[in-house]
Amino acid sequence: MVSRLIDESERLKTILDRLNEKSIEDYYNPYRVFEWPDELPAEMWWMTPELTTTYGTPIADELPAERLHALSRHESVNFYSLNVHGIRELLIEVTKRIHTADFRTPSEFFHHFIGEENEHMWFFAEFCLRYGGKIYTQPRGGAETIPPNNAESLLVFCRILIFEELVDHFNSKMALDRNLHETIRQVNRIHHQDESRHIAFGRELVSVLFEDFRKTATEEEITQVSDYLKRYMSFSFESLYSPQVYRDAGIENPLEFRRRLLNDPRRKEFEQQVFRKTFSFLTKTGLLGDRDLSAFSASN
Amino acid sequence: MPETPTTAFDEVTAWILAKNPERESVGADEDLVENRLVDSLSFVEFIFTIEQAADTEIPMDTLDLDDLRTLNSIRKAFFDGRTPVTG
Ligand SMILES: [Fe+2]
Ligand SMILES: [Fe+2]
Repeated sequence: MVSRLIDESERLKTILDRLNEKSIEDYYNPYRVFEWPDELPAEMWWMTPELTTTYGTPIADELPAERLHALSRHESVNFYSLNVHGIRELLIEVTKRIHTADFRTPSEFFHHFIGEENEHMWFFAEFCLRYGGKIYTQPRGGAETIPPNNAESLLVFCRILIFEELVDHFNSKMALDRNLHETIRQVNRIHHQDESRHIAFGRELVSVLFEDFRKTATEEEITQVSDYLKRYMSFSFESLYSPQVYRDAGIENPLEFRRRLLNDPRRKEFEQQVFRKTFSFLTKTGLLGDRDLSAFSASN
Repeated sequence: MPETPTTAFDEVTAWILAKNPERESVGADEDLVENRLVDSLSFVEFIFTIEQAADTEIPMDTLDLDDLRTLNSIRKAFFDGRTPVTG
Protein backbone atom coordinates (compact mmCIF):
# COMPACT_ATOMS: atom_id res chain seq x y z
CA MET A 1 0.00 0.00 0.00
CA VAL A 2 1.56 3.22 -1.15
CA SER A 3 -0.65 5.51 0.93
CA ARG A 4 0.22 4.05 4.33
CA LEU A 5 3.87 4.46 3.64
CA ILE A 6 3.52 8.06 2.59
CA ASP A 7 1.22 8.78 5.53
CA GLU A 8 3.66 7.22 7.97
CA SER A 9 6.63 9.28 6.87
CA GLU A 10 6.76 12.20 9.30
CA ARG A 11 9.73 13.55 7.40
CA LEU A 12 7.76 13.67 4.14
CA LYS A 13 4.81 15.34 5.86
CA THR A 14 7.00 18.05 7.38
CA ILE A 15 8.62 18.69 4.02
CA LEU A 16 5.23 18.82 2.29
CA ASP A 17 3.99 21.46 4.77
CA ARG A 18 7.04 23.58 4.16
CA LEU A 19 6.83 23.26 0.38
CA ASN A 20 3.11 24.07 0.32
CA GLU A 21 3.79 27.25 2.27
CA LYS A 22 6.68 28.15 -0.01
CA SER A 23 4.50 27.67 -3.10
CA ILE A 24 1.97 30.14 -1.74
CA GLU A 25 4.67 32.65 -0.83
CA ASP A 26 6.38 32.43 -4.21
CA TYR A 27 3.17 32.59 -6.21
CA TYR A 28 3.29 34.91 -9.23
CA ASN A 29 1.21 35.67 -12.27
CA PRO A 30 3.16 34.26 -15.24
CA TYR A 31 0.89 36.04 -17.70
CA ARG A 32 2.08 39.40 -16.31
CA VAL A 33 5.57 38.77 -15.06
CA PHE A 34 7.44 38.27 -18.35
CA GLU A 35 8.90 40.83 -20.69
CA TRP A 36 8.41 39.50 -24.22
CA PRO A 37 10.24 41.76 -26.69
CA ASP A 38 9.04 41.43 -30.29
CA GLU A 39 12.24 39.69 -31.20
CA LEU A 40 15.53 38.62 -29.70
CA PRO A 41 18.78 39.47 -31.50
CA ALA A 42 19.99 36.64 -33.74
CA GLU A 43 23.66 37.57 -33.46
CA MET A 44 24.24 36.31 -29.95
CA TRP A 45 24.27 33.14 -27.88
CA TRP A 46 20.77 31.96 -26.93
CA MET A 47 22.18 29.32 -24.62
CA THR A 48 25.26 29.25 -22.45
CA PRO A 49 27.92 27.93 -24.87
CA GLU A 50 28.96 25.12 -22.48
CA LEU A 51 25.38 23.81 -22.62
CA THR A 52 25.25 23.47 -26.39
CA THR A 53 25.88 20.08 -27.98
CA THR A 54 28.84 21.21 -30.09
CA TYR A 55 30.78 22.79 -27.22
CA GLY A 56 34.23 21.32 -26.61
CA THR A 57 34.20 19.26 -29.80
CA PRO A 58 36.29 19.75 -32.96
CA ILE A 59 33.03 20.63 -34.72
CA ALA A 60 32.72 23.82 -32.70
CA ASP A 61 36.14 24.92 -33.97
CA GLU A 62 35.15 24.23 -37.55
CA LEU A 63 32.02 26.40 -37.47
CA PRO A 64 31.96 30.21 -37.76
CA ALA A 65 30.49 32.24 -34.90
CA GLU A 66 27.23 33.01 -36.77
CA ARG A 67 26.58 29.32 -37.28
CA LEU A 68 27.22 28.60 -33.61
CA HIS A 69 24.83 31.38 -32.65
CA ALA A 70 22.18 29.97 -34.98
CA LEU A 71 22.73 26.51 -33.52
CA SER A 72 22.32 27.85 -30.00
CA ARG A 73 19.08 29.54 -31.06
CA HIS A 74 17.56 26.35 -32.47
CA GLU A 75 18.93 24.26 -29.60
CA SER A 76 17.32 26.60 -27.11
CA VAL A 77 13.95 26.29 -28.86
CA ASN A 78 14.41 22.52 -28.83
CA PHE A 79 15.23 22.62 -25.12
CA TYR A 80 12.05 24.55 -24.29
CA SER A 81 10.11 22.24 -26.60
CA LEU A 82 11.38 19.23 -24.62
CA ASN A 83 10.00 20.99 -21.58
CA VAL A 84 6.59 21.41 -23.16
CA HIS A 85 6.35 17.70 -24.00
CA GLY A 86 7.88 16.56 -20.72
CA ILE A 87 5.39 18.67 -18.77
CA ARG A 88 2.46 17.21 -20.71
CA GLU A 89 3.57 13.76 -19.65
CA LEU A 90 4.07 14.61 -16.01
CA LEU A 91 0.78 16.52 -15.81
CA ILE A 92 -1.03 13.44 -17.09
CA GLU A 93 0.62 11.20 -14.47
CA VAL A 94 0.16 13.53 -11.51
CA THR A 95 -3.42 14.34 -12.48
CA LYS A 96 -4.14 10.60 -12.58
CA ARG A 97 -3.05 10.32 -8.94
CA ILE A 98 -4.31 13.48 -7.23
CA HIS A 99 -6.94 12.78 -4.53
CA THR A 100 -6.74 9.04 -5.00
CA ALA A 101 -6.40 6.94 -1.84
CA ASP A 102 -2.70 6.24 -2.35
CA PHE A 103 -1.78 9.89 -2.76
CA ARG A 104 -4.04 11.60 -0.23
CA THR A 105 -1.13 13.12 1.71
CA PRO A 106 0.68 14.83 -1.18
CA SER A 107 -2.54 15.94 -2.93
CA GLU A 108 -2.35 19.47 -1.53
CA PHE A 109 1.15 19.73 -2.97
CA PHE A 110 -0.06 18.23 -6.27
CA HIS A 111 -2.42 21.21 -6.64
CA HIS A 112 0.54 23.58 -6.53
CA PHE A 113 2.56 21.28 -8.75
CA ILE A 114 -0.12 20.96 -11.43
CA GLY A 115 -0.85 24.70 -11.34
CA GLU A 116 2.81 25.63 -11.62
CA GLU A 117 3.56 23.13 -14.35
CA ASN A 118 0.63 24.37 -16.38
CA GLU A 119 2.17 27.82 -16.19
CA HIS A 120 5.64 26.58 -17.05
CA MET A 121 4.24 24.86 -20.08
CA TRP A 122 2.62 28.12 -21.10
CA PHE A 123 5.77 30.23 -20.91
CA PHE A 124 7.96 27.62 -22.56
CA ALA A 125 5.49 27.24 -25.42
CA GLU A 126 5.20 31.03 -25.66
CA PHE A 127 8.97 31.32 -26.02
CA CYS A 128 9.11 28.63 -28.73
CA LEU A 129 6.26 30.08 -30.74
CA ARG A 130 7.36 33.72 -30.46
CA TYR A 131 11.05 33.28 -31.15
CA GLY A 132 11.29 29.94 -32.92
CA GLY A 133 8.00 29.97 -34.82
CA LYS A 134 7.31 26.38 -33.71
CA ILE A 135 7.49 23.77 -31.01
CA TYR A 136 9.78 20.89 -31.99
CA THR A 137 8.02 17.56 -31.80
CA GLN A 138 9.52 14.83 -29.76
CA PRO A 139 9.14 11.06 -29.93
CA ARG A 140 8.18 9.69 -26.55
CA GLY A 141 10.59 7.02 -25.51
CA GLY A 142 13.06 5.31 -23.30
CA ALA A 143 10.28 3.33 -21.69
CA GLU A 144 9.54 0.22 -23.68
CA THR A 145 11.21 -2.24 -21.30
CA ILE A 146 8.61 -3.76 -19.07
CA PRO A 147 9.44 -3.08 -15.46
CA PRO A 148 8.00 -4.97 -12.46
CA ASN A 149 4.32 -4.10 -12.36
CA ASN A 150 4.23 -2.94 -8.74
CA ALA A 151 6.84 -0.31 -9.61
CA GLU A 152 4.60 1.89 -11.73
CA SER A 153 4.34 4.90 -9.42
CA LEU A 154 7.97 4.59 -8.42
CA LEU A 155 9.05 4.76 -12.06
CA VAL A 156 6.68 7.61 -12.89
CA PHE A 157 8.06 9.79 -10.11
CA CYS A 158 11.63 8.78 -10.97
CA ARG A 159 11.06 9.88 -14.55
CA ILE A 160 9.61 13.19 -13.40
CA LEU A 161 12.55 13.74 -11.06
CA ILE A 162 15.17 12.86 -13.68
CA PHE A 163 13.51 15.16 -16.21
CA GLU A 164 13.27 18.04 -13.72
CA GLU A 165 16.89 17.62 -12.64
CA LEU A 166 18.10 17.59 -16.24
CA VAL A 167 16.18 20.77 -17.01
CA ASP A 168 17.34 22.40 -13.82
CA HIS A 169 20.98 21.90 -14.72
CA PHE A 170 20.35 24.14 -17.72
CA ASN A 171 18.05 26.61 -15.94
CA SER A 172 20.37 27.26 -13.03
CA LYS A 173 23.32 27.97 -15.33
CA MET A 174 21.44 30.11 -17.84
CA ALA A 175 19.75 32.16 -15.12
CA LEU A 176 23.21 33.39 -14.08
CA ASP A 177 24.77 33.84 -17.53
CA ARG A 178 25.19 37.58 -18.07
CA ASN A 179 25.92 37.08 -21.76
CA LEU A 180 22.36 35.91 -22.42
CA HIS A 181 19.41 38.15 -23.21
CA GLU A 182 17.42 39.21 -20.15
CA THR A 183 14.25 37.43 -21.36
CA ILE A 184 16.14 34.16 -21.65
CA ARG A 185 17.65 34.60 -18.21
CA GLN A 186 14.25 35.44 -16.76
CA VAL A 187 12.55 32.33 -18.17
CA ASN A 188 15.32 30.17 -16.74
CA ARG A 189 15.44 31.99 -13.40
CA ILE A 190 11.73 31.74 -12.76
CA HIS A 191 11.56 28.11 -13.73
CA HIS A 192 14.55 27.27 -11.56
CA GLN A 193 12.86 28.88 -8.57
CA ASP A 194 9.72 26.73 -8.85
CA GLU A 195 11.64 23.59 -9.74
CA SER A 196 13.75 23.67 -6.60
CA ARG A 197 10.52 22.88 -4.70
CA HIS A 198 9.48 20.18 -7.16
CA ILE A 199 12.88 18.51 -7.01
CA ALA A 200 12.94 18.61 -3.19
CA PHE A 201 9.53 16.92 -3.19
CA GLY A 202 10.48 14.42 -5.90
CA ARG A 203 13.55 13.21 -4.01
CA GLU A 204 11.56 12.62 -0.84
CA LEU A 205 8.72 10.84 -2.57
CA VAL A 206 11.02 8.67 -4.68
CA SER A 207 12.99 7.70 -1.55
CA VAL A 208 9.82 6.58 0.24
CA LEU A 209 8.48 4.70 -2.80
CA PHE A 210 11.78 2.94 -3.38
CA GLU A 211 12.14 2.03 0.29
CA ASP A 212 8.79 0.31 0.02
CA PHE A 213 9.55 -1.38 -3.31
CA ARG A 214 12.87 -2.71 -2.05
CA LYS A 215 11.24 -4.59 0.82
CA THR A 216 9.76 -7.20 -1.48
CA ALA A 217 11.73 -6.80 -4.71
CA THR A 218 14.15 -9.44 -5.98
CA GLU A 219 17.68 -8.60 -7.15
CA GLU A 220 16.47 -9.04 -10.69
CA GLU A 221 13.60 -6.59 -10.26
CA ILE A 222 15.93 -3.99 -8.81
CA THR A 223 18.19 -4.41 -11.85
CA GLN A 224 15.16 -4.03 -14.12
CA VAL A 225 14.32 -0.73 -12.43
CA SER A 226 17.87 0.52 -12.69
CA ASP A 227 18.14 -0.45 -16.38
CA TYR A 228 14.84 1.27 -17.04
CA LEU A 229 16.08 4.48 -15.40
CA LYS A 230 19.40 4.43 -17.21
CA ARG A 231 17.66 3.97 -20.52
CA TYR A 232 15.37 6.87 -19.75
CA MET A 233 18.31 9.08 -18.73
CA SER A 234 20.21 8.25 -21.89
CA PHE A 235 17.17 8.82 -24.06
CA SER A 236 16.43 12.18 -22.40
CA PHE A 237 20.02 13.32 -22.74
CA GLU A 238 20.21 12.31 -26.39
CA SER A 239 17.01 14.27 -27.12
CA LEU A 240 19.16 17.36 -26.72
CA TYR A 241 20.94 16.30 -29.91
CA SER A 242 18.15 16.90 -32.38
CA PRO A 243 18.62 16.23 -36.10
CA GLN A 244 15.73 18.63 -36.81
CA VAL A 245 17.66 21.35 -34.99
CA TYR A 246 20.82 20.66 -36.98
CA ARG A 247 18.82 20.74 -40.20
CA ASP A 248 17.18 24.07 -39.26
CA ALA A 249 20.57 25.54 -38.40
CA GLY A 250 21.73 24.74 -41.94
CA ILE A 251 23.91 21.71 -41.16
CA GLU A 252 24.31 19.64 -44.28
CA ASN A 253 24.07 16.07 -43.05
CA PRO A 254 22.19 16.29 -39.76
CA LEU A 255 22.31 12.58 -38.88
CA GLU A 256 26.01 12.28 -39.47
CA PHE A 257 26.55 15.51 -37.53
CA ARG A 258 24.53 14.12 -34.63
CA ARG A 259 26.45 10.85 -34.63
CA ARG A 260 29.77 12.62 -34.62
CA LEU A 261 28.69 14.63 -31.60
CA LEU A 262 27.25 11.65 -29.73
CA ASN A 263 30.47 9.69 -30.29
CA ASP A 264 32.75 12.57 -29.36
CA PRO A 265 34.50 12.15 -25.97
CA ARG A 266 32.85 15.41 -24.91
CA ARG A 267 29.46 13.69 -24.88
CA LYS A 268 30.28 11.54 -21.87
CA GLU A 269 31.68 14.47 -20.00
CA PHE A 270 28.61 16.59 -20.78
CA GLU A 271 26.28 13.75 -19.77
CA GLN A 272 28.06 13.35 -16.44
CA GLN A 273 27.83 17.10 -15.81
CA VAL A 274 24.13 17.27 -16.66
CA PHE A 275 23.31 14.34 -14.36
CA ARG A 276 25.88 14.98 -11.63
CA LYS A 277 23.32 15.64 -8.89
CA THR A 278 20.86 13.11 -10.29
CA PHE A 279 23.49 10.36 -10.20
CA SER A 280 24.48 11.29 -6.66
CA PHE A 281 20.90 10.96 -5.50
CA LEU A 282 20.10 7.79 -7.44
CA THR A 283 23.26 5.96 -6.37
CA LYS A 284 22.91 7.07 -2.75
CA THR A 285 19.38 5.66 -2.52
CA GLY A 286 20.43 2.46 -4.29
CA LEU A 287 18.22 3.01 -7.34
CA LEU A 288 21.38 2.91 -9.47
CA GLY A 289 24.53 0.92 -8.83
CA ASP A 290 26.85 3.22 -10.79
CA ARG A 291 27.01 6.25 -13.10
CA ASP A 292 27.66 4.41 -16.32
CA LEU A 293 25.12 4.99 -19.11
CA SER A 294 27.26 3.75 -21.99
CA ALA A 295 25.26 0.54 -22.53
CA PHE A 296 22.17 2.64 -23.29
CA SER A 297 23.46 4.99 -25.94
CA ALA A 298 21.91 5.03 -29.40
CA SER A 299 25.29 5.92 -30.86
CA ASN A 300 26.85 2.51 -30.24
CA MET B 1 22.74 -2.21 -67.92
CA PRO B 2 20.64 -0.03 -65.62
CA GLU B 3 21.12 -0.72 -61.94
CA THR B 4 18.15 -1.36 -59.68
CA PRO B 5 16.68 2.11 -59.23
CA THR B 6 17.15 3.57 -55.77
CA THR B 7 13.93 4.83 -54.32
CA ALA B 8 13.59 7.29 -51.48
CA PHE B 9 11.98 4.49 -49.54
CA ASP B 10 15.17 2.41 -49.79
CA GLU B 11 16.84 4.90 -47.48
CA VAL B 12 14.58 3.70 -44.69
CA THR B 13 15.49 0.06 -45.32
CA ALA B 14 19.15 1.01 -45.60
CA TRP B 15 19.03 2.78 -42.25
CA ILE B 16 17.52 -0.29 -40.54
CA LEU B 17 20.12 -2.59 -42.08
CA ALA B 18 22.96 -0.28 -41.09
CA LYS B 19 21.67 -0.29 -37.51
CA ASN B 20 21.43 -4.07 -37.50
CA PRO B 21 24.58 -5.30 -39.24
CA GLU B 22 23.75 -8.94 -38.47
CA ARG B 23 20.77 -8.70 -40.85
CA GLU B 24 20.87 -8.94 -44.62
CA SER B 25 17.26 -8.07 -45.27
CA VAL B 26 14.07 -6.93 -43.61
CA GLY B 27 10.70 -8.44 -44.45
CA ALA B 28 8.07 -5.99 -45.65
CA ASP B 29 5.65 -7.13 -42.95
CA GLU B 30 8.17 -7.88 -40.25
CA ASP B 31 7.40 -6.19 -36.92
CA LEU B 32 10.31 -3.78 -36.44
CA VAL B 33 9.71 -3.13 -32.77
CA GLU B 34 8.98 -6.70 -31.68
CA ASN B 35 12.01 -7.95 -33.56
CA ARG B 36 14.11 -5.22 -31.97
CA LEU B 37 15.25 -3.74 -35.25
CA VAL B 38 14.20 -0.34 -33.93
CA ASP B 39 14.01 0.66 -30.27
CA SER B 40 13.18 3.87 -28.50
CA LEU B 41 16.82 4.89 -28.20
CA SER B 42 17.19 4.90 -31.97
CA PHE B 43 13.77 6.45 -32.52
CA VAL B 44 15.05 9.99 -33.01
CA GLU B 45 17.23 8.85 -35.92
CA PHE B 46 14.58 6.55 -37.30
CA ILE B 47 11.93 9.27 -37.43
CA PHE B 48 14.34 11.73 -38.98
CA THR B 49 15.37 9.21 -41.63
CA ILE B 50 11.74 8.72 -42.64
CA GLU B 51 11.16 12.49 -42.63
CA GLN B 52 14.10 13.08 -44.92
CA ALA B 53 13.32 10.22 -47.27
CA ALA B 54 9.63 11.08 -47.53
CA ASP B 55 10.34 14.81 -47.50
CA THR B 56 7.72 15.40 -44.84
CA GLU B 57 7.46 16.33 -41.18
CA ILE B 58 6.06 13.66 -38.91
CA PRO B 59 3.83 15.13 -36.22
CA MET B 60 4.80 13.07 -33.17
CA ASP B 61 1.81 14.14 -31.12
CA THR B 62 -0.75 12.75 -33.53
CA LEU B 63 1.42 9.95 -34.86
CA ASP B 64 -0.11 6.49 -34.86
CA LEU B 65 2.71 4.21 -33.69
CA ASP B 66 1.24 1.37 -35.72
CA ASP B 67 2.25 3.33 -38.82
CA LEU B 68 5.85 2.67 -37.86
CA ARG B 69 5.57 -1.04 -37.12
CA THR B 70 6.53 -2.53 -40.49
CA LEU B 71 8.15 -1.39 -43.72
CA ASN B 72 4.80 -1.78 -45.43
CA SER B 73 2.94 0.37 -42.93
CA ILE B 74 5.65 3.04 -43.17
CA ARG B 75 5.38 3.00 -46.95
CA LYS B 76 1.63 3.27 -46.81
CA ALA B 77 1.59 6.07 -44.23
CA PHE B 78 4.40 8.29 -45.50
CA PHE B 79 5.36 7.35 -49.06
CA ASP B 80 2.38 6.22 -51.08
CA GLY B 81 1.11 8.81 -53.48
CA ARG B 82 4.56 10.39 -53.76
CA THR B 83 6.97 10.05 -56.67
CA PRO B 84 9.17 7.21 -55.49
CA VAL B 85 12.24 7.40 -57.72
CA THR B 86 15.06 9.74 -56.69
CA GLY B 87 17.89 8.49 -58.79
FE1 LIG C 1 8.36 22.97 -14.58
FE1 LIG D 1 8.46 20.86 -12.06
